[in-house]
Amino acid sequence: MSMFDEIVQRCRDLLELLPGQALAAARARRPGIGGGFAVFPVYAPVEIIHAAGLMPVGLFGAGGQLEILHADSRFASFICSIAKSTLELFLRGEMKDFCGAVFSSICDVARNLASVVKRNTAGQLIEYLHLPQNPDSSRAPAYTRAEFERFRTNLARHLGRPISDAALAASLETYNTVRRLTNELYEQRRRRPESISSAELCVLTRAGTRMMPEDYIPLLRDALEQVRARRGRPRDSVQVVLEGAFCEQPPVALIETVEAAGCQIRDDDLAVGWRLFPADVHGDGDPLGALAEAYLQQSLYTSVRYDRAHPRTAGLLERMRAAGAGAVIFAPAKFCEPALLDYVLFRQTLDAQSVPHLKLEFEEKMWTFETSRSEVETFAESMLFD
Amino acid sequence: MKYAVGIDVGSTQTKAVMLDPARAILARVLLNTGANVKLAGQRALETLLSDSGVPREEVGFVVGTGYGRYKIEAGDTQVTEISCHARGAQMLFPGTRTVIDMGGQDTKAIKVGSEGDVLDFCMNDKCAAGTGRFLAGAAEVLGMKLEEIGPAALKGARPIRLSSVCTVFVESEILGYLAARQSIQDILAGVHEAIATRTVALVRRVGIEPEVTFTGGVARNVGMVRALEKKLAQPLNVSPEAHYMGALGAALFALDHVLARPEAASVEDVPAAWVGQ
Amino acid sequence: MSAVAPAPASQAKEYRGVVHDLSSEIMTAWLGQLREAARGDGRPSAYLMISGNCVEILRCFDILPIFPEINALQLAIRKKSLPYIMKSEEVGYASDNCAYVKADVGFTLSGGVGPGGNIPRPTMIVCNFVGCNVYIKWFEHCAAMFGSPLVMLDIPFVRGGRPSRADVDYVQAQLRELIARCEELTGRKFDLDRLREILRYSARAEEGWSRCKELCKQRPAPFDAYFDSINMMGPINALRGTKEAADFFDRAVTHYSDLVARGVGVLPEERFRIVTEGPPPYPYYRNFRNLFESWGAVAVQSTYSTVGGTWEFGFRHDPDRPLESIAEQMLVHNLCNRTLLDRYQQIRAYVEEWQADALVIHSIKSCRLFSAGQGDMREYFSKELGVPTLMVESDLEDPRYYAEAQMKNRIDAFFEALQYKRLRGAAARAATDETHGSAARVPLPCEGCAAAHEKTRLLPGGAS
Repeated sequence: MSMFDEIVQRCRDLLELLPGQALAAARARRPGIGGGFAVFPVYAPVEIIHAAGLMPVGLFGAGGQLEILHADSRFASFICSIAKSTLELFLRGEMKDFCGAVFSSICDVARNLASVVKRNTAGQLIEYLHLPQNPDSSRAPAYTRAEFERFRTNLARHLGRPISDAALAASLETYNTVRRLTNELYEQRRRRPESISSAELCVLTRAGTRMMPEDYIPLLRDALEQVRARRGRPRDSVQVVLEGAFCEQPPVALIETVEAAGCQIRDDDLAVGWRLFPADVHGDGDPLGALAEAYLQQSLYTSVRYDRAHPRTAGLLERMRAAGAGAVIFAPAKFCEPALLDYVLFRQTLDAQSVPHLKLEFEEKMWTFETSRSEVETFAESMLFD
Repeated sequence: MKYAVGIDVGSTQTKAVMLDPARAILARVLLNTGANVKLAGQRALETLLSDSGVPREEVGFVVGTGYGRYKIEAGDTQVTEISCHARGAQMLFPGTRTVIDMGGQDTKAIKVGSEGDVLDFCMNDKCAAGTGRFLAGAAEVLGMKLEEIGPAALKGARPIRLSSVCTVFVESEILGYLAARQSIQDILAGVHEAIATRTVALVRRVGIEPEVTFTGGVARNVGMVRALEKKLAQPLNVSPEAHYMGALGAALFALDHVLARPEAASVEDVPAAWVGQ
Repeated sequence: MSAVAPAPASQAKEYRGVVHDLSSEIMTAWLGQLREAARGDGRPSAYLMISGNCVEILRCFDILPIFPEINALQLAIRKKSLPYIMKSEEVGYASDNCAYVKADVGFTLSGGVGPGGNIPRPTMIVCNFVGCNVYIKWFEHCAAMFGSPLVMLDIPFVRGGRPSRADVDYVQAQLRELIARCEELTGRKFDLDRLREILRYSARAEEGWSRCKELCKQRPAPFDAYFDSINMMGPINALRGTKEAADFFDRAVTHYSDLVARGVGVLPEERFRIVTEGPPPYPYYRNFRNLFESWGAVAVQSTYSTVGGTWEFGFRHDPDRPLESIAEQMLVHNLCNRTLLDRYQQIRAYVEEWQADALVIHSIKSCRLFSAGQGDMREYFSKELGVPTLMVESDLEDPRYYAEAQMKNRIDAFFEALQYKRLRGAAARAATDETHGSAARVPLPCEGCAAAHEKTRLLPGGAS
């Protein structure tokens, strides 16, 4: 196995763990970690958690590893898997080693999920952030900053210790580094897709949501070095952008299926909340203010954030252009309301520009990908032989 | 007029039971419902009468249940099959506190009190997955008879994992597994396991309290009994009268009426079970 | 099976007549204004959402308010929603998307909006994001269809028990920004006195609504707080701020108070008092209502009627604090902007203060704001509080998700069990009552059913 393959395998192994196990593994490595705090998609200011001495861990459900025994009685039909498996994790006590979890206003299900989790846990801080949906308002910056401040205050109170601005500024720099390195990997894939596959990139990116940034950064650096040196032959595939998997993450096997079926993913929104800022965010004496401004003015578009001045449809077209992609594969989670609603506008925009597109819905518990594969193959063939 | 009759008109089968005042079962009938629900109810009653030799005038009360209960002309009143299954199960197994009723088209979980009274219930009546229909579909695709699939499932040592939640799609999934040379026993074990998982999730909504009694047509499937017992980690009460449970419960409700007639009995003769002491 | 004999015709008509007719009158007048505006009379108009809305601000500028949710509701209740839903699905909406959106968008795509339609193309789209995330996308889609400017009102969710200072400042700033846009649109200056006058009408309507709801604490309740509330929801949510709506509520209070004084209830016999949670299945409104009426079950409270505003706990718009009280209402005093756990406490208060026997949860496929997590609500009420709870499922707009036989089965089983429990309790008391002695007549479980009585009388020699 090459060094790069080893790195990727390490990441894959990490992804097989449940969140509590990932936390335990990190604490075994670094006994100084004060605890863990779970972060439900899409975005939360993880710097605040890190500055409090805790490890932020991405809460993306149980990935089909946990049988749903209890959550079905609380969330019945027509609800995305991530909500059910996340609740299942809490109901089964798998999250007991975490100090708490943070949810945000991404959709109606997540909001109610936060309430149900809260009612069925004790002693943990279950926080809910109302992230702004009106960046146009003159009051938006002050509001956003106040919301982050509220999180800091509540977390500090829960832990019984302050979270200083200095600690925040330091954490901000740490995560800037994480984002910069991750973005560089993304850039590598855009410019030289033969040097890193989308499955590999997706595994590397997701692993970062389960590691302390101090451990993740050297891993990213190593990976980058390997990727830059990697040679390969560009494949004759259809160049696509993957859109819609910003919350619940598709099984890695689905990504592999898409690639094997003849499509090259040049850009995507996988785990986008963990790499939301394309540029560094500098504290400059007010780290929370800087984060608030970055969230409002400099974040990548997502289906859970309304921004009148920067429509997501324009964002998708721009993403395609920058990535050299000629088609789009929509990969929403089953029952994902924001993704399914956005699909309508995205589709209209693409049709108006004669851009080919395909929709593949997924869920956590998928073990056979034959149907998806046929669909992607057909899609790819229809374009390659045009 | 001391006999009581319960008629359960289901989507596929109609069952009927006649009881005497001491709650002994004098006769029972099972026939296919067919397209004419009214006729099915009639024929069930007629067959009960001829089998038992009891004249019609001696039948004091008839209770109809099941989806076809409003169409039974002979019925003096109607009671839902939820209430009937609870009563029927509790009569056969007095320790019953939870009933799982799996029929051709729906699955019910019923929480039962010591008198056979319904404390809570939950139904899967929207989706065939998790009902007898799922099993019927699997049997058809495998070219087997419904009675064969249960015993075959018991032999499956390595149950396959189904990802489809839909009865329609599971059929193509089964074909896929067959093509991949999985054994029929393992496939069937997987099918039964999938249904058991969905069913137990449903039962949890009312709470799993022993003893658990399994009723309805699917209770005759030994594979399903085994799969459920495994998932529940406790034994199930299963009666050979399983598919008569609804009709039996209905007959018990009918018997309440019969016994309460002033000329038939005084209060002391009324079974303590339903007086609420 | 009908557990109760049908209401005497005159009584039923009289009850449904007065308030229903008054409501129809003023709502029809408003819809008439919309139709006229659709023909292009140049009057400025704005789309607005029901939950926590600032309709008073629009009225201040004579901007005609249009509520797509009411459009969707009307389509469903008149059984016209399906073709529009399917039209939307043709252009890419998913089967799992909210059917309110699909019906309204399909209606728009079919020419229902604009010249030739019933609803004018809105000059402006005011998206009051109050709880429901789907609102944002719905209005984005409308803005894309019409090319009308979208003004966002981002109302922070009540996540910490009460809104923070930052939340209130944010909302008030946005209200002022909305006012500036209205000034631009209409060329008129904002008139604070006019707003105060409008808010006085609002407060009077709210007082009336609250008093009507209070009257349902009586036994019997003078109206069904779920099925009949629909007559009041239009005026309170859409026509709030008008003199007509305020007058309507005064008359409703008088009428219902009179019914209470005469001991007249919704049904000849009020057997069960229920609290309902969730919107009704509009395409099967009458049918669904019948399933409860047949058991003598009357809703004495409902959460759905409070989506736009919760007025029964004392809040009123305040002409002395115009923008502040509007902000407060949008933030705090409506169902949608409050947590699921707040809703549990709202329901609990309803069950206790309105003395209800049971909770009925109607879980709908379209609306995750209402339905996601109702299983937990059921656990809380039935297992922790011991309140008998029934959960049924269908949809509020899409007729394809209503299965009458299954619905009836669940409702019948539930009330059968409640009735049985009640009668057994009565029998147990009677059996120990010395005055009655051994001649006590033991009631039967089916005795709640008048039809059973009917039938037993028909049996030869039968007497009850």
